[in-house]
Amino acid sequence: MLDFQQLMQILPQQLVFGVTLGMIYGLIALGYTMVYGVLKLINFAHGDVYMVGAMTGFYVAHALGFAGHPSMVGLLVTLVCSMAVCALLGALIERVAYRPLRGAGRLAPLITAIGVSLFLENTGQVLFGADPKFFPPLLESREFGRVGALSISNIQAVVLATTLLLMAGLEFVVMRTRFGRAMRAVSFDAPAAALMGVPVDRVILGTFVLGSALAAAAGILVGLSNPKIDPLMGIMPGIKAFVAAVLGGIGHIPGAMVGGLVLGIVETLVSGYLSSTYRDAIAFVVLIAILLYRPTGLFGSAQTEKV
Amino acid sequence: MRRPWIGLVLAAALLVLLDAGLPHVLNPYYLTILTRIGVAVLAAVSLQLINGFTGQFSIGHAGFMAVGAYVSAALSVYLGAGWLVALGAVLPVPLARALYFPVPLVAGGLAAALAGLGVGIPALRLRGDYLAIATLGFGEIIRIAILNVDAVGGARGFSLTSAAQPAADLRYDGLGAIYAVVALSVLVIARLVYSTGGLAFRAVREDETAAESVGVATTRVKVEAFVVSSFFAGVAGALFAHSEGYVHTNSFAFLRSFEIVVFVVLGGLGSISGAILAATVLTAAPEVLRGLGEWRMILYSLLLIVTMILRPQGLMGQRELGPLRWLATRPRQRHAAA
Amino acid sequence: MPLLEIRGLTVRFGGLTAVAGLDFSVEPGALVALIGPNGAGKTTAFNVITGIYAPSSGSVRFDRKEIGGVSPHRICAHGIARTFQNIRLFRSLTALENVRAAVAAAQRSGLRDVVRGPGWSQREQALEERALELLTRLGLERVADTKADALPYGEQRRLEIARALATQPRLLLLDEPAAGMNPSEKEALRGLVARLREEFGVSIVLIDHDVAFVMNLCDRISVLDHGEKIAEGPPEVVRRDPQVIEAYLGNNGESA
Ligand SMILES: Nc1ncnc2c1ncn2[C@@H]1O[C@H](COP(=O)(O)OP(=O)(O)OP(=O)(O)O)[C@@H](O)[C@H]1O
Ligand SMILES: [Mg+2]
Repeated sequence: MLDFQQLMQILPQQLVFGVTLGMIYGLIALGYTMVYGVLKLINFAHGDVYMVGAMTGFYVAHALGFAGHPSMVGLLVTLVCSMAVCALLGALIERVAYRPLRGAGRLAPLITAIGVSLFLENTGQVLFGADPKFFPPLLESREFGRVGALSISNIQAVVLATTLLLMAGLEFVVMRTRFGRAMRAVSFDAPAAALMGVPVDRVILGTFVLGSALAAAAGILVGLSNPKIDPLMGIMPGIKAFVAAVLGGIGHIPGAMVGGLVLGIVETLVSGYLSSTYRDAIAFVVLIAILLYRPTGLFGSAQTEKV
Repeated sequence: MRRPWIGLVLAAALLVLLDAGLPHVLNPYYLTILTRIGVAVLAAVSLQLINGFTGQFSIGHAGFMAVGAYVSAALSVYLGAGWLVALGAVLPVPLARALYFPVPLVAGGLAAALAGLGVGIPALRLRGDYLAIATLGFGEIIRIAILNVDAVGGARGFSLTSAAQPAADLRYDGLGAIYAVVALSVLVIARLVYSTGGLAFRAVREDETAAESVGVATTRVKVEAFVVSSFFAGVAGALFAHSEGYVHTNSFAFLRSFEIVVFVVLGGLGSISGAILAATVLTAAPEVLRGLGEWRMILYSLLLIVTMILRPQGLMGQRELGPLRWLATRPRQRHAAA
Repeated sequence: MPLLEIRGLTVRFGGLTAVAGLDFSVEPGALVALIGPNGAGKTTAFNVITGIYAPSSGSVRFDRKEIGGVSPHRICAHGIARTFQNIRLFRSLTALENVRAAVAAAQRSGLRDVVRGPGWSQREQALEERALELLTRLGLERVADTKADALPYGEQRRLEIARALATQPRLLLLDEPAAGMNPSEKEALRGLVARLREEFGVSIVLIDHDVAFVMNLCDRISVLDHGEKIAEGPPEVVRRDPQVIEAYLGNNGESA
């Protein structure tokens, strides 16, 4: 056990780790929350899209020769390619596995979501092999800046900057574009939106494209900071990001980011200070504590049914 | 079809008798798979009570199985082994075993029911997807908590061999007895939901406000569903632990919970027959497909997606088959038929 | 001594006051109408009487006991049953099961149903007989085994009434039972409501928009507008009340 002074000394450093992890959870959580918004579906395959994002990054980086030569350009190209591939994958999943079940209740698509998840995990094991791969270092790790004893690596800086940029981009799309307006309309009341002439199916497709691209970005960012990747890597972060989305109030976009941050920080602190065996449980403890206090998450609004 | 339970009891007795001969005819591989099917069926039917009949959405069922598995296993290892040896000294060994093994099953069930009560009461303040995620969370917390208890092996897993009584054989894999337990449990659940009082479960599923307005104490009904369902999940866990002879928390991770949800939805929400059918087919499928090597799980997942798209209401919808169908018919028609 | 006595009932939703200082009572055996334009607070009053919402202030007494804020299933056990404005049947259950569920709500499923000792089957049948009889009295015996959501609209409304009666209420609250019916169906419904009062000896409160519909049916009419009671009395008097005419014609042009 560390004494109090030591605890306080490493706290800022732990917080940096926590925020980095939380940002990544948040990026994945955005996909859950957006899809939930428009479709009221828990898209259990989302974590596996994130895995495909990391895997695509791996192959792209190798194919284009960025693997041995770390550079900002390489990182950017890899990121964009991977986001494009996953956007396509997301659209495909929606078309094949969810659209045929539109109007068939809420549980049937949940089962196809589990099916898609199993499909991606197992196909991943066949295509990529079950053994872990090592994500090529697209950036040379070095210190980016330092505040007192606190040191921030360039990778952490890139993770933070990229996430913030993507979030700002998303905020712009959702709040300032026609598509974003349509998306909010569908989230608010899909049948009414359809009556008003909003092309609901196209909006849903677009939502999957956006969410999947963000998951891919999370996959690349994780590859930078934690290079061991494998076909089952999406399961745990997928579930945790889902927890983050619920924590923030599922369907609520800024809530997903906040939920991700809370989760990332708490988890890092717990595994840093207490014990890492409880790390995976703490996400759920936090979740349940918050739900008991606020039954619809931090920012979710209670739906009272009119009788 | 006069008295279906007489038939069931007879069938159970027959199956128990079969236990003596079965291992000589069937190879152990099939026995293991058949046992796992039995466990899966019980897990699925018990979850059907919550998800299919009461309309609540629980996706943490494996947590309750874990409680049943570990509590029963600990009981057997630390106490039961001694009892078994003592019983074996005064009774013929098969009889001693037949008398002992219901004990850990009931203990596992009760422990899980208690856990169900503890989880159900706070969790039922939540609705829909929030309830779902909370049950998932509880399931994972239970699993990780067990993982940190050294007395039951922690991350090493827990073997049903007692250090104090190494002679006591705590494994129990008699297929007939296992199926008898499963059949009995299914019968209990079916009689519960297919009685006039049991309509309360379905009333809650259909419309909570309306159910309250006709006098159904919806919160209590939901807690009851949780407790009964957890009890049988615990029995399933105990069966699993004692038939495998070894338990590990990995068997009760959330993927296992998802699997049980798949049984229930794919079988048809609100159909016991459907849950049995789906649990059987989907537990057997990976084994049947074993010849396909690494492609088998891919095929399995495609099977899942395609079936669900073709039959969104599940294989059985809300219908029942055979004796279950008889249980589900109107009292007067049932009486007229008898 | 009134069976139901509401005093100074106020219900607020956030800033909106749905019911404002309502006094309202029902004598045993009475058939009372509660009318008023859209959003007047009629359904909200029902929701408070049946325990779905708690009063913000004021008292609701049934049979001299305070029931404000008591949970709906307890209120049902006290003897109040209702139907809903937007029909709320147990949709995927049969008509008979809908009524059986209400017949049996007081007795829960339990060990007794699992063990099924002697006499169990007779008891189950007796419960079913009771449910069947109710269906018959509401003219639904032919559709006993039809799923509720497959029934035509008028039969769904009657099934809801049958289900409410299955709880053996002393007070029956009907929320716009005539909504969406054509004139001949409405006429039949008036006959039915009058008959229910006679045959089941229940007191009835009936919500409707339409003064004409409740005119020759009810002993008394209470008119709500913006959460306040603006008139009360025998139908003939209420119909000519200038405030009532104003509320209907002035606010949203609905004909009285
Ligand atoms: N649960 C609720 N939350 C917020 N506002 C509510 C709620 N229930 C009712 N209201 C509001 O209270 C007011 C009264 O509604 P209520 O349903 O009681 O009217 P009503 O007289 O039954 O009207 P209608 O004839 O349209 O059925 C309305 O403005 C309604 O929007
Ligand atoms: Mg109303």
